[in-house]
Amino acid sequence: MGKIPPTFRPAISTNSLLKTQNPTTTTQPQKPPRHFNNNKNNKNKKPTSKKPDFDGTKKLPVLFKSPDLSEAKKVFNSIVTTNQTQTPLDRSFYNSVLQSYTSISTVDNSISLLNHMIKKTPTFSPDRSTYHILLSQSCKVPESDLSSVQKTLNFMVNNGFDPNPGTTDIAVRSLCSVDRVDDAVELVKEMCLKKCPPDVYTYNFLIKCLCKCRALSTVYSFIDEMRTSFDMNPNLITYTILIDNVCNAKNLREAMRLVSVLNESGFKPDCFVYNTIMKGYCTLSKGSEVIGVYKKMKEEGVEPDLVTYNTLIFGLSKSGRVSEAKKFLKIMVEAGHFPDAITYTSLMNGMCREGEVEGALALLEEMEAKGCSPNSCTYNTLLHGLCKSRLLEKGIELYGAMKEACMKLETACYATFVRALCRVGRVAEAYEIFDYAVESKSLTDVAAYTTLESTLKWLKKAKEQGHAV
Amino acid sequence: MLPQGVKKTITDNPKKLANLIDLVNLPSTLREFVGQSRISRLGCFMHVWSYIKTNNLQDPNNKNVVNCDKNLRSILMGKPQVELVELPALIKLHFPKEPK
Repeated sequence: MGKIPPTFRPAISTNSLLKTQNPTTTTQPQKPPRHFNNNKNNKNKKPTSKKPDFDGTKKLPVLFKSPDLSEAKKVFNSIVTTNQTQTPLDRSFYNSVLQSYTSISTVDNSISLLNHMIKKTPTFSPDRSTYHILLSQSCKVPESDLSSVQKTLNFMVNNGFDPNPGTTDIAVRSLCSVDRVDDAVELVKEMCLKKCPPDVYTYNFLIKCLCKCRALSTVYSFIDEMRTSFDMNPNLITYTILIDNVCNAKNLREAMRLVSVLNESGFKPDCFVYNTIMKGYCTLSKGSEVIGVYKKMKEEGVEPDLVTYNTLIFGLSKSGRVSEAKKFLKIMVEAGHFPDAITYTSLMNGMCREGEVEGALALLEEMEAKGCSPNSCTYNTLLHGLCKSRLLEKGIELYGAMKEACMKLETACYATFVRALCRVGRVAEAYEIFDYAVESKSLTDVAAYTTLESTLKWLKKAKEQGHAV
Repeated sequence: MLPQGVKKTITDNPKKLANLIDLVNLPSTLREFVGQSRISRLGCFMHVWSYIKTNNLQDPNNKNVVNCDKNLRSILMGKPQVELVELPALIKLHFPKEPK
């Protein structure tokens, strides 16, 4: 019960995600080829995949079968000639054709095909997005240097399109998507020298990627370099990303230092920053500090939101201060927020820890009465609590409801349930739970079996030693 | 009350995991029962357990006990009755540790 329940995690992390989401993505030309993809799933397919899925149209069943350039040219010619009688093809059509080819070919061949397309069809004038398709491809090539990216950029410039922030953004995102973070950093510096610095969204995106896979010192030195050489300063969102990162690493001291740096830079921490810090203290089960953050927010006049209250209630429940957590449930309602499944589940978790399982069950009724439907995490928490408190019959009843709703069992809950059944000699039922766990894919077969096996082994031993089980 | 080790999943121990999921060449008695020449310990357990379920071999009065039929007896040391508690241990007997 010490972990943050799964349903809780997205609720916290989304705030930083939401904020850093890049509005420029809408300008990205890598939209799925409209003419070929009726299937929306294709949007997520990497162009590097060997089998491009083009079965969306009846007009063009399979476009490019081989990465061979002369073949591709032939295919393109045939598309153009067969289509002459119909409506004229627009630019996005040509872009999709090019994009399909980039997914299976090399950068050089794609450039050649584009040249061929321009020569062959005078009505087609490539725009920036056409070149961005090539750029994105060249970034995803598994290479150790930026030569093909530079080649594409030069090709683009030679055709009259100077890179803009969108260009930088696409390159950085494509590079990061294939884990070429160091190359992305290098490219950003290069683009800065070429007077095309990344915008703040690209910058923050890169910082986030760096945080994920590089040491903190690397991130700091990148920020420093950007500041001293190119006059790019971190903003509030950058600091939120950094604070979130150090909080996840349980380095609260660094988080507090960052907050003071943030204040010195003239920013005022907002709700997201406070929520992030609060989450940090929650992972350390530091109830007093969690409340401290809440008080600080109030002092600074920052209005707590739903996430704040959920974090607060979760943190207090986790550090064994359930009565205070209950108090905050009232405060939150008074402040006009609607407690959700996360709020109630956190509180139930705290109550179960304290052995107040009956109270937790009453809370379940209360929440349902208020129109808030419990989720699988709620049920798992309760089942776990019931088994721990040896209220097995109620637990079995609850399990029945879970089974009906096809809910998955969480690992800890499953193990506790199986143990509780075995302890009272209901081995056959434990086997049934095992079957359900495997069937519902709650756990892997191995994990489910291992738990069952070790529980039975323990039971047998206990019996042999004549212990009352 | 509870053994400490239980909470820890064996999945992070590669040796124990291998012991559970590696395919093993079976002795002839077991080969006849599962209809395969190689199976993992986990696979074998699943097979036996589903055999018990499909043939309704659990004692109607005490579900924790299995009344073995002829096939089952041949692989479970000829016992006429086994308890579900000892099933994993009995199956483990067919999968001895490999002497290194």
